[in-house]
Amino acid sequence: MIRSSSSPRPVEDNLGLIVAGPIDVQKMVAQAHHPGAGALVLFCGDVRDNNRGRSVVCLEYEAHAALASKLIGEILEEAMHKWDLKVALATHRVGKVAIGETAVVVITSSAHRQEAYAANKYIIDRIKHEAPIWKCEYFADGTHEWGNNCQCHLQTGDPAKHIYESGR
Amino acid sequence: MKIHVYAALKEHFDPEFELDGVVRDTTELKARLRALNAHAAGLLDICRFAVADGFIDADFKLKEYDTVVIIPPASGG
Repeated sequence: MIRSSSSPRPVEDNLGLIVAGPIDVQKMVAQAHHPGAGALVLFCGDVRDNNRGRSVVCLEYEAHAALASKLIGEILEEAMHKWDLKVALATHRVGKVAIGETAVVVITSSAHRQEAYAANKYIIDRIKHEAPIWKCEYFADGTHEWGNNCQCHLQTGDPAKHIYESGR
Repeated sequence: MKIHVYAALKEHFDPEFELDGVVRDTTELKARLRALNAHAAGLLDICRFAVADGFIDADFKLKEYDTVVIIPPASGG
């Protein structure tokens, strides 16, 4: 969690950036309210029951926790300053996640809604493209597949360079 | 040198294993890994590499006792 103060600084929360169990979304929302914020935007990435025409029974996420936490922290810090946010939170779940459960949460709070919306999209875009977090789809036919991953390298020619709808 | 792999790379290699001999950089490392399993060649070409919880580039000089983490493309979507 990153929260603004007289001198903005990162503040560790008890939810973590990478967690092995269900994400407590209500608790995260409660932590994201701020007296200087008139807008709070919540994004939940939930597991759906189908992908590319195939029936999905669950997803399994794996992460390099140290690298992913470090990168997500940097993304939150950057977004805080770029959009003058009051609070920026992100948590990604690892392990098996059932249909309808939440795999990733991003919350942004700011004085006005435009900044909170823009920053939220920026943060989730970068987490999805850059953080070393991978998903394995388990299908109803009994097969599984790591994939549906970031394909930006096909256009940029560099695994470290990405293309974002939200721009950078 | 210790190697840790994740996600789809685990379909081609053990999650953790060791390589003997001199591996000077990620170009040589990819060549060694392609020789071990040619089916992983395409995926290795789009992976990033990390040492000591930091990403490294092609110029980084690997040492015998480094633990190298191989990072496939992220989940995307």
